[in-house]
Order: sequence, then structure tokens, then C-alpha cells
Amino acid sequence: MSLGTAGETEAAAPGTEAAPTSPTVRERLRAGWGVLLVALIVILVAVAGVLLGGGPDRGRPLDPAGASLSGGKALAQLLRAHGVHVVRVTSAAQAGERSAALGAGNSTLLLSDTSFLGEDEIREISALRADRLVIGPQTRLELLAPQVTATGEVRARSREPGCALDSATRAGSAYMGGMTFGAPPDAFRCYFGDGAPTLVRYVRSGLTTTVVGDGQFMTNQRLPEDGNAALAVNLAGARPAVIWLTAPEAVSGTSARKSLYDLIPPGVKGAAVQLALVVLLLALWQGRRLGPVVVERLPVVVRAAETVEGRARLYRARRARDRAADALRAGFLDRIVPRLGLPPAAGPEATAGAIAERTGQAGTHVGAALYGPPPPDDAGLVALAAYLDMLERQVRES
Amino acid sequence: MALTGRAALLALLGTLVVLTAPAPAPAVAGVALLIAAVVAVDLLLAGSVRPLRLHRAGDRLVRLGETATVELIVENPGPRRVRGVLRDAWPPSAGARPRHQPLDVPPGERRRLVTTLTPSRRGDREAVTVTVRALGPLGVAARQGSHRVPWSVRVLPPFLSRRHLPAKLTRLRELEGRHPSMVRGQGTEFDSLREYVVGDDVRSIDWRATARRHDVVVRTWRPERDRRVLIVLDTGRTSAGRVGTAPIPLAGARPRGGGVPGAPEGTATVPGWPRLDWSMDAALLLAALATRAGDRVDFLAHDRSVRAWVSGAGRGEPLSTLVNTMAPIEAELVEADSAGMVAAILARAGRRCLVVVLTDLNSASLEEGLLPVLPRLSSRHLVLLAAVSDPQVTAMAAGRGTSELVYNAAAAERQSAERRRITARLRGHGVEVVDAAPEQLASALADAYLALKAEGRL
Repeated sequence: MSLGTAGETEAAAPGTEAAPTSPTVRERLRAGWGVLLVALIVILVAVAGVLLGGGPDRGRPLDPAGASLSGGKALAQLLRAHGVHVVRVTSAAQAGERSAALGAGNSTLLLSDTSFLGEDEIREISALRADRLVIGPQTRLELLAPQVTATGEVRARSREPGCALDSATRAGSAYMGGMTFGAPPDAFRCYFGDGAPTLVRYVRSGLTTTVVGDGQFMTNQRLPEDGNAALAVNLAGARPAVIWLTAPEAVSGTSARKSLYDLIPPGVKGAAVQLALVVLLLALWQGRRLGPVVVERLPVVVRAAETVEGRARLYRARRARDRAADALRAGFLDRIVPRLGLPPAAGPEATAGAIAERTGQAGTHVGAALYGPPPPDDAGLVALAAYLDMLERQVRES
Repeated sequence: MALTGRAALLALLGTLVVLTAPAPAPAVAGVALLIAAVVAVDLLLAGSVRPLRLHRAGDRLVRLGETATVELIVENPGPRRVRGVLRDAWPPSAGARPRHQPLDVPPGERRRLVTTLTPSRRGDREAVTVTVRALGPLGVAARQGSHRVPWSVRVLPPFLSRRHLPAKLTRLRELEGRHPSMVRGQGTEFDSLREYVVGDDVRSIDWRATARRHDVVVRTWRPERDRRVLIVLDTGRTSAGRVGTAPIPLAGARPRGGGVPGAPEGTATVPGWPRLDWSMDAALLLAALATRAGDRVDFLAHDRSVRAWVSGAGRGEPLSTLVNTMAPIEAELVEADSAGMVAAILARAGRRCLVVVLTDLNSASLEEGLLPVLPRLSSRHLVLLAAVSDPQVTAMAAGRGTSELVYNAAAAERQSAERRRITARLRGHGVEVVDAAPEQLASALADAYLALKAEGRL
């Protein structure tokens, strides 16, 4: 008989004609204009933010012209309001020049970041006849403040003055911390952290040297808090003028300090960018699928024997030898009793007797195997199964 | 659109340019612009995918285990050559090969591509999409688009048991051939009157006709014909259980990694074929046999509601109708509603008929489901219940040696005892029961049918 597997080749039924499913460019635009719009708005906002946010503020810390959070513009203006002349210098030579012009003892030299200075320049600065205010960790502290040694470091937080220094007690608590110092015996020690001062002031040959562990209290961010502003003005505004040394803008100008990145030839950097483009194109090439993923409802896969296996595992887990033995005996009797020609309702003695007679085994043995107590252990169960097998084989063969 | 490896290769060559260029930043930008320009030009010059016209032709029907071919005709009405790759996507179980094929259609021409399907499951397989990637002349970028080209291939049950059919038909003919005898018995019906010849059984002389004709006339008898056989397929949850070994590997039927821990050796291998498929196989053999024997075959598939109904009253090839109806039937993971099934049978079977229920001899579900409603059915019809036994359980029952195997054997013995008990109860209700291993079920069911026919119990 044929089942008609020969195919029909007429055209598909109406309503199921072939049709393109990919959207056209116009449809794609229509579907995606919302996303495009959002992306455009995000870009516009970002551009506007950068433009309105002013020029790039590199945020040199404690720069009197710096308006960033870590800058010192607020303090500079505060000092000017107190009638202190603020001079911003960016090199040791400039500092010397301005200090000489202002006259000995008429100015305070404010030093925070001195890492751009060479050792000679630091010596030059430390020889100037001016008060010195040294802020924050220094690499050449022994030159800038010869009597003071850095001993440790503590967290910056609001601290009480704890000393008799007038500038500090009038200002009250301030945001201090950073380096802690060891100082000469005649020096003022203030704002203790871990038992050591974070502000040390001493006078040598008429010039005051003040060392502060951390400069954050002078920044635009911290100035309004606590007594920070008062302390900063007290420390920096003691003389008619402040010579404020900051790092020069163009780092790469004269200094020989170049990072590893600067040493890579520009062609290699361009090539890296280009390789990134290669990777992108490779990803686009390999990532584009030829058509959609096809999904399919799969049939359930359940082996019918799983319930039996589960029951077997339960028997084993609970060591249910009684039930297992009962099942084995019942199966044996179901197969053997009809062969013996006994009625299904024959009693245990009759059945055991008949089997013993057919097989020549001892009747008590057969009776114990078929109707006795369940085996005491797993080995007994295995032996019972083997014995029943043997009986069955003998009955079949007899 | 899609890019090819050549675009990346171009960019890689660009790296050399950038490395040697005096000004790298403009060189990077320049290379990127150049690649963009090449891609744009290639896209512009590539053949358009959207206006392609696609048609299909080929097989609509295939038997499980055989291979169908479906042709795809690609017509290019556009002005440019369409050269590239085509993917004719089918569900995984359709076994479509090749996955991708090269395509090259000059303008105004058409090409014929052939996809062969080797399905791994019964049911309807629908074509999903045809995706074409048309490369530009430079081979750097490609246009890509998809078309929906509907086509459906119905995968029919394999009817593996048809190899038993010649033997069973021979037995059927023996049954018929024995009977133009004069013996009247159960299962025969009056055929004709003819003149007495010496040797005829005197008991078959029709005295009334003899009186009319002034000649001795005997009656002849033949096996009854035009009986009705109603095959009922239970598609409930028990029919989803897999037994035996699948004659055709099934998609999605791989055992989960490693199998069951602690299970005896060989139990966690191929999960076999659903009971439903074995039952279908048996049903098809029975239907083929009964049709040849002159009986009318109806078919009902039922779980909680009627899944399929084929009345044998319709003309044409009853078996191919049956095969077509069976093809999309899947096991539903719900408990079968036996009362509903009996009601559906009673509503459809007016005259007394042989109701063959293909289900599982699961004592729990039978005791709660079928047994209470069985008297309603067996009082009007002859009921034959056919079930697939699990060779796995038989193998487990023979396990000896270690305690693990003996516990398995005990569990298997218990299952067998339950099956024997429920079989005995069913026989007590006057129901015939056929319980056979998967490969033997079709043959055993056919034998049971022939035996009933020989006894004239239909």
C-alpha cells in the first residue's frame, strides 16, 4: 500500500505567499527614531555640559587661581579681602625675585607642591628671607624645615587645636591630619593625631616656619567648614604679602619627567587604535547571524522506567528488605505456582511442599525462603534472590 | 547589512599604513574613512535582496526516517547580480541540510536550490525564514534580508510494523480460506446456498430451501465481515513515557549528562521512543489488517478531550487518512480523562464494535480512571486493551548479584505484579488485554485481532 509520500507541487494556498520580512531602511528609521532622538539628546546634553562647564580645569591642588574643589582661589580672595597681597609664582627664581622685591620679612612663602622643583631650587627657596608655610607631604622637608621630621600619617578630620598657638586657638577646630611631625622643643605643636602634632610652628632668626600635615583645610571645598578659613588666613596672612608657589601649567615644557606612555612612538598608538578597529570589524563580521535563531517546542523526555528506578532507590535508601523480599517472593510464586499445577489459593505449606518435592530441596529450606522472616541484611537479600532463582530453574527443568 | 572578513583585513592593512605614517592620528581617521567609503560603495553596488521572488516546490509528506526534498526557486528581478549566501531556516528537528548554500543569480534569471529534510520527529515542520546575504562586487560588505516563504512538511509515523503485514494477511486469508466450508460456527455469517455435493456436512442442509427447489441445497458460511473496529489512542501523560530503543533517533532525546547516578549499567542510555509512537505503530498495523479483512476502522485520540477522530465511513484510502491524522498528535502532559473517553466512544460507536484502547497498564491511573467506567463500555462493546511493557523493567527484574541490582529487581517485580493484578482485574471485566514489549506490540495486537475474528467474537 502506498502512503502517498509523493509530494504535491502546486503553489501554496492563497494568503500564505512568500513575503520579505526584513524591514526597509524607512521602516527601520520609523521604528528607531525614538532611540535616535534619545541618543541625540544625550549627546547634546553632554556637549553643552562640557562647553558650559568652562575650560578644562586640570585641578592643580592649592593653586590660587584654581576654581576646582581642590584649588585655592577662595583662600586667595579671602586673603586679598584681608588686605594681604597674593602673588602667584611658578618657579623658584620667580619666588626669589618677588621676595627680594617685597623686602625681607615682609612676605609669607606658601609651599604646597614642590615636587616639580629640583634640589638646587629648593635650596634657593629655603635661603629666602621670608616666613615659610609648608603644606602637606614633602620630599625635601629637611631643607624646607630643618628642625622638623615627618614621623607618621593620620587620617584627616576635624581636630581641636590643643596648643597655645594664637592663630590656632582663635580659629578653633579645623580639618587637619595627614603627616605628623617631630618638632624642636621650643616649637608650637598643634592639632594632635596619634600623639604627634600635625601642625608645627617655630621661629628661627626672626623668620617663622610653619609645617602643616595636610592642605585640605585650605581648599575651596573645605574652607567654609569649621575654623578652616580662620586658620588658613591666620597662618598665611600674618605678613603683608603671600608668595604662593604653584606648579607651572606646562609640565612637559622644561622638565625631563616623562611617563612611559609619552615614550611610545605616536605611530604605535595610532596602530593600537587601528587594531581596535580591526577587532571591531572582526566582531561585526562574526557577530552578524544569517537569519534569526529558530526556536522549537521540544517533546518531553521521560523514560518510563524512571518510576521503577525511583522505587528501587527508595528501597535501597531505607534498606526495605522486607518489602523487597516480599516482591521477589510474590513474583516467584506468580510464575511457579501455575507450573506446579496448584490452585492459586493453595496454602504456604502445600506450595512449599510441592516445590520441595519437585526440586528435591529440603522443605524447611524452601518454606523459610518463601514464607520466612525477611533477610537480616543485604547479603541475605542477595542470597535469597539467588536461591529463588535456583529454585525456579530447577522447577522449570524438572 | 553585514561585513565580511575582507573589511577586517583592510583595516589590518591600514595598521601598517598607520605605523609608518608621519602623522598617525589623521592616518587612523583616513583609513577609517576609506574603509567606510569602500563599505558604502560595496553596499550600493550589491544586489538588492528585498525584491527577490522566492517560491517553493517539493515534498509535502515524508515518513519519519526518510528524506524529503524541498526546492527553493530564487528569482532575481533586479538589475544587479545577487551573489552570496542563502540560508533556508527550518526547525532543528526537521534536519535540514545544507544549512547554508551559495547563491548566484544574474539579473532576470532564476536559480533552484534544494534543501533535504531528514526529520527526527513526527509532526508538521514549518519553514521559518529564508535569509539571503548578497555580497557587493568587492566582497567587503553585503546586504542581508529575510523572506518568509511558507512551506510545511508533514512527517508521518514510520509504520515500521508494516513488515508484519504480509504474514498477518496470509493468516487472515487462511482464516477466510478455511471457511467456505459448511461449518457453521460463531463468527460466521450466511454466505450463499448451493447444491449439495457428496461430502458436504448434512447438518448444513437448508431444508426449507430444499423443499422449495426439489433439490438438496446446503448453506455456506463465511467469516463475518463489515464489523467495526474502533482504535482509541490514549494521548495522556502516560503515553509520553519512553520505552525500548527508538528505531529512529529523536531530536532533543539525548540523555542528560552522565545519566542517573547509581543506576545500573546501561539504564541511562538512549531514552527510547514514547509509548504513543509504539501505540501508533500497532494501531496502523491493526488498521491495515482490519481494512483488508473488510472491517470498518474508526480512530479516536483522547486525553482530556478528543484530539483526533477519523471515521472509517469516508471513502478513499482509509490508512493514509489515518496516518495523516496521527502525524501531528503529541502526548499531552495531563492525566487522561477516562470517563470522557468512554463517553466519547459511546457517542461515536452506535453498533457493537471492537474497541481497542491503546494505553498503559498503569495500575494507579487505571484503577482510578478506566476501571470504574469500564462496565459501561464493556456491556455494549468488546474491549481490547493493548499496552506497551517496558523492556527496561524486564531487564531490571533479572538483576542479581549485588544488593543494588536485587533492590532494582524487587522494584521491577513489584511493578510486574501490579501489572498482572490489573490485567487480571481487567480480564475479570471481560476485557481482552495485550501486554507486549515495544517491538512485539503491533504483532501481538494483530494476532489478538485475528484470534477474536477466528472466534467470531467481533
